[in-house]
Amino acid sequence: MDPVTTLPVLLGIAWLVPLASFTLILLFGPRMGKHGQGAGMLATAAIGTSAVLSLIALFFVWVPAYDWAPEHHAAHAEHGAAEHHDAGHGEAGHDDAHDKDAHGADEHQAEEHKTEEHKTADEHHDWRKPYVAGEWYTLGQFGKLRIGISYYIDSLTVTMFAMITFIATMIHFYANGYMHDELHEITDHEVTLSNGHHLHRPGRFHRFFQYLSLFCFSMLGIVIAGNIAMVFVFWELVGICSYFLIGFYIERKSASNAANKAFIVNRVGDFGMIIGLMILIATLGTFSFGDIDTDGDGTAEPGIFSLVRTEANNYALVVPDGMVRAAAASEIAAGVEPSAEQIAAWRAETGPGGIGRTAYWLLIVAGLGIFCGCVGKSAQFPLHVWLPDAMEGPTPVSALVHSATMVAAGVYLVGRFYPVFTPETLLVIAVIGCITLFIAATIAIVAVDIKRVLAYSTVSQLGYMMLALGVGGWSAGMFHLITHAFFKSLLFMCSGSVIHAVHTNDMTKMGGLRHKMPFTAYTMLAGCLAIMGAGIPFMIGLSGYYSKDAILAQALSFKASNPQWGFLFYVAAAGAAITAFYMFRLWFMTFAGKPRDHHAYDHAHESPKIMYYPLIVLAVLAVVVAWPFWPVSIVALLEQARPEGFHETVNGVLVSNLTHPAEHISHEPNFHIQATWVATFVGLSGLGLAIVFYGLSLLNPAEVARQFKPVYTFLWNKWYFDELYDYIFVRPVLFVANRVAEFDKVVIDGIIDSLAMLTRMVARLDDLSDRYLVDGFVNGLAAWTYATGSKLRSAETGRIRQYVMFIVVGTVAMFVLISLYIS
Amino acid sequence: MESTYLTLLSTVVFLPALGALVLAFFPREKTEAMKYFALGVTALVFLLTLIMALPSAGDWQFDAAVTDMQKVFSVGWIPSFNINYFMGLDGISFPLVLLTTFVTMLSMAASWPIEKHVKAYCILFLILETGVLGVFLALDFFLFYVFWEVMLLPMYFLIGVWGGPRREYAAIKFFLYTLLGGVFMLIAILMLYFSSDLKMLSKDQLVAAHVISPELSEGEQAARFAEIQAHTTPRRTFNILALQQLGQHTDAFNGDVLGKPLQWWAFLLLLIGFVIKVPSVPLHTWLPDAHVEAPTPISMILAGILLKLGGYGIIRICYPICPQAGYELAYFVCALGVVSMVYGAFAALAQKDFKRLVAYSSVSHMGYVVLGIGVWSAVAGNEFNADAWKMGMNGAMFQMVAHGIASPGMFFMVGVIYERVHHRNLDQFGGLFAKMPLYSGLAIGIFFAGLGLPGLCGFIGEVFVTLSVWSFNHTLAIITASVVVLTAAYILWTLQRVYLGPEYKGPHGDHLHPMTTRELAIALPLFVLAIAMGVYPQMVFHYMTPSVNQTVDDLAGWAQRNAANLPQMAAFDPTAPAPVAPALVQAEIQ
Repeated sequence: MDPVTTLPVLLGIAWLVPLASFTLILLFGPRMGKHGQGAGMLATAAIGTSAVLSLIALFFVWVPAYDWAPEHHAAHAEHGAAEHHDAGHGEAGHDDAHDKDAHGADEHQAEEHKTEEHKTADEHHDWRKPYVAGEWYTLGQFGKLRIGISYYIDSLTVTMFAMITFIATMIHFYANGYMHDELHEITDHEVTLSNGHHLHRPGRFHRFFQYLSLFCFSMLGIVIAGNIAMVFVFWELVGICSYFLIGFYIERKSASNAANKAFIVNRVGDFGMIIGLMILIATLGTFSFGDIDTDGDGTAEPGIFSLVRTEANNYALVVPDGMVRAAAASEIAAGVEPSAEQIAAWRAETGPGGIGRTAYWLLIVAGLGIFCGCVGKSAQFPLHVWLPDAMEGPTPVSALVHSATMVAAGVYLVGRFYPVFTPETLLVIAVIGCITLFIAATIAIVAVDIKRVLAYSTVSQLGYMMLALGVGGWSAGMFHLITHAFFKSLLFMCSGSVIHAVHTNDMTKMGGLRHKMPFTAYTMLAGCLAIMGAGIPFMIGLSGYYSKDAILAQALSFKASNPQWGFLFYVAAAGAAITAFYMFRLWFMTFAGKPRDHHAYDHAHESPKIMYYPLIVLAVLAVVVAWPFWPVSIVALLEQARPEGFHETVNGVLVSNLTHPAEHISHEPNFHIQATWVATFVGLSGLGLAIVFYGLSLLNPAEVARQFKPVYTFLWNKWYFDELYDYIFVRPVLFVANRVAEFDKVVIDGIIDSLAMLTRMVARLDDLSDRYLVDGFVNGLAAWTYATGSKLRSAETGRIRQYVMFIVVGTVAMFVLISLYIS
Repeated sequence: MESTYLTLLSTVVFLPALGALVLAFFPREKTEAMKYFALGVTALVFLLTLIMALPSAGDWQFDAAVTDMQKVFSVGWIPSFNINYFMGLDGISFPLVLLTTFVTMLSMAASWPIEKHVKAYCILFLILETGVLGVFLALDFFLFYVFWEVMLLPMYFLIGVWGGPRREYAAIKFFLYTLLGGVFMLIAILMLYFSSDLKMLSKDQLVAAHVISPELSEGEQAARFAEIQAHTTPRRTFNILALQQLGQHTDAFNGDVLGKPLQWWAFLLLLIGFVIKVPSVPLHTWLPDAHVEAPTPISMILAGILLKLGGYGIIRICYPICPQAGYELAYFVCALGVVSMVYGAFAALAQKDFKRLVAYSSVSHMGYVVLGIGVWSAVAGNEFNADAWKMGMNGAMFQMVAHGIASPGMFFMVGVIYERVHHRNLDQFGGLFAKMPLYSGLAIGIFFAGLGLPGLCGFIGEVFVTLSVWSFNHTLAIITASVVVLTAAYILWTLQRVYLGPEYKGPHGDHLHPMTTRELAIALPLFVLAIAMGVYPQMVFHYMTPSVNQTVDDLAGWAQRNAANLPQMAAFDPTAPAPVAPALVQAEIQ
């Protein structure tokens, strides 16, 4: 099968099937079977179909076409496994190391690596990452700027598709059992009405699956997206699905508050992301990841990745022309297109104040903007506050949305957008990840809500992934993303099974439950061991063992190149110990020891099969999924999607002595072995502490909490982030809002109304003057005339002779007067 | 051909007025029949315009590929002042015409609860439609002004007679504001008229402006041209297309008035007239009052259509006729837009009245329109590349149509609930989702369209406008981007207070019966369109983009031709002082 034509169709259908399911449930949900029970089956069938299609795409299309590289096929045959070397990219010194990477440390993947390296084909031996990109349709095109619905499929996409759809299918099965209550009338004991009763409401089984389907569609949309704007579209859509699912219990104030918080905090991240998008579209004129021929002229227009890492520059980072031009706007004479030499000259001005430096900053800001979106979605410091509250949603949601997939979307996007990040941007990512993993891990130590412990653990693990990506461990970060998805969804579903049994989240009311629910207890134990990274050093381990090792090794390698940033490694190692501690604290408190609440314990029971079968499947996968002995290993798949330009060690421009060592260096024994020992040691020490405190109760945790009261209070209150944000963001915004509304009412309308009043006053004055001045004069004149007239009336006697006499006397008098006047 | 167009467009414009005339003869007590008749007339007008949008409608078909005016006709009206009955359509006006006929029809359907003076209501309603359509179609400035004023009076009465408790205050406020804008516009029209001279234009330009009909033969055209040139006195004109040609190709409007070119003043006066209608801060306070007092269908028309007249005026008249002023005042226009966006969002956050909140959301959303039109990024430092501006202006146009769908929807949703419980206090709702699930589902969908959620109509306009701003100015761009947070905050908070929660907290809870079929028939089309436009925006861009791009290209071309005489616009200077916004915000805080 030709991947170029097959993959977009297969994955496109896998992407759209959940949308169809959503639409059907939206329209006909309540009528689907008894109480909408059919909706659950439909949604499960839909995501199951997607899973099958994705697995077909992975194992029957992508893997057979593994060494698929269309443009180099002709030359391909001439290169045997033995003669491959990396002349195309990299200094000579690294060649050996890379060799080892392919055939040494990860010897089990030699097969895959060999084929991968085959793509070093033409005379330059340069390796082109295989991907399929194209466009489905356009949202809008203005001049050359174009935004469309497109796809970008590489092995990362295919792997993510398989992972997401598979886990989602398991969770759908599980949810069919977990949400069973919603099939009937429900009494919500957490909601008390004004009449003192608890709320009764009809079940919303179908609505739950409707949102889940929409969520799956949106999540897959992010993964298949072929341009960053489309990522943003689906980014927002998963945000809104998450909003609906967190706020699923709409009657609970805490749920709707948590839903609002999640969406709004995510929007804060999106604010940064929009700025990144603006810069990209304004300077590069494209959003596309890959090269797509959009105008149909036979040559593909370069996408962002090709613009930032040009073939001519050996895929090393280069500030794109558009950014240089934008930085040089004031230099560009009226409408004259600058020459290529001119742009190159500008680009070279990297000193302080130089154009090249400004352009480089633009690239950094664009990268950081996109990363802001990831900080929001992946709940990284300082936007991590929404994720623990998101646990208000039903547990299957926490498992799917808030641990395995959606929150991983931020990490995924960092991985996807990796080629655009400068070493400085990566450093910021590493530091943010490091801070996050530490803060979250410390809070998890004291939390007693079983889901919140897992939520903080999720935040912390996401921090690990960000840290890995930030120190140059691209495949380590992505690897951990996938292994984490398996064991964290398992852990959440186990916790859901427990909550389902004892009807509380509070671990202080649990204990000894392993006798009542063995499947849940031992699958969860597998999850705990996996997240702790348990394994027999250098032999075999659970999935977390491999991915955490890779992260620590890369952090160590980064420390070796940048001693000043060594704390990144130490914090990561300390975090691993804390992880093991709080995970086993959780397990012991829940399943071991004596029951603390006998009422809860007595009513506890193992969950139905539809719930614990998925647990078993996921537990098995959490153990084996990362094993390098499989014919198709995750690491090999990920290596195939490694962004171009990251086979090399790269150096920073603005920050001195910043070096991101190539990832294969971390596989060298001096890092790899050291990291494995460190990981094993810290993991065991965390586990040991948990056993001391909670397993064997040799030390009393309450006693310790009393002794370290300030620290304990500080952690218990989650470092006071919620309070802080309330003071510095929420209140000022509401304050300004109220002032603005007042300004409208008092000032603007005040001015308008006083103008109106003034007009009325003028009118009144006008009226008065009319009445008393103008009219007064006229009326006075009239009155005077009248009065004179009536006075004169007395002269009016009606006798003709008298009149004649008046006339004569008057005439004579007139003549006399006139003659006098003339003379 | 012209006679066909004359019939077609005149029918579209005057059919409602004719319907109003017929209504006058209805017996007083047949109120139901009057409503049906008025609905029938609006539906007929909508159908007429819808047919124009369809392919293969023959002479009637609106050809989306044509960038210039089409369906143009011109008949002498008042020859002594060169005033013509002159109308036409292009991609800028056509979507708005379609929106008008559509929303008017739905609003008429939403008018059923009106019981008072039904005959007068229906008559005024139909006359209002004639006025609005006339404004969108008129190409003669005088005719434009006449329709502008025609539209004003029915609206005054519709608010003042059928409104809420403070209806008279609101109606007078609305009337005076719009009238003031109209007066400014009239002054500008006369300024432009008395500086215009058709003799300054070449024959081709006159043909393009339809002063000389393109349907005439070459010889006849030459004769007409010679006739115009033969006049010894200037040939004044109200022809908007000719004024555009004069503004872009001659210096007719550059005469000095009080130290500024005449067109600077004309632009400013017109802009004030139009942004009152949009409305932009600080000329917006008539809007919340008018909305709160107006009955639901009138709110729908007001938000859905009347506000668009402002944006339309800026695109059609301000920029093309006075490009130099537009260039110089680009910052002013964009600042107006951004300030309105931020200010409206903040004000919405503080409202307690449901309808007032939606009104302020309109202020915020219409700010995008002004901003998108104003982002003149085709400047020297950008090699006069107009792509970003095209994106902004297309986004602005799309935002107008999208807001014309989402905002009437929101007002209707408020109206539905108001009719049942007779209050709009946001703190006294809650739990509606349980009582009216269908209504709540549709309402949440439409409010999300207002929030700018992808897949719904609000997203497309907002995102294109927002993305276009960076090329113009970085500071404004960052402020613009930040509005998404505020919008999410006030919409989600509203949804939470009204639809979520365990129980309804206000009075008349027993009246919360489900939506009626009539209400569903109004809400559903708006909801479906909101989704369709969000998923497939090409259905709107298809009609508007060619003409909008043409407008932008003309202006960018003008800027390039006049590059030498223009001051450098500091579009890429991040150190340039941010305009207006900070001062205003400071004033608010104090």
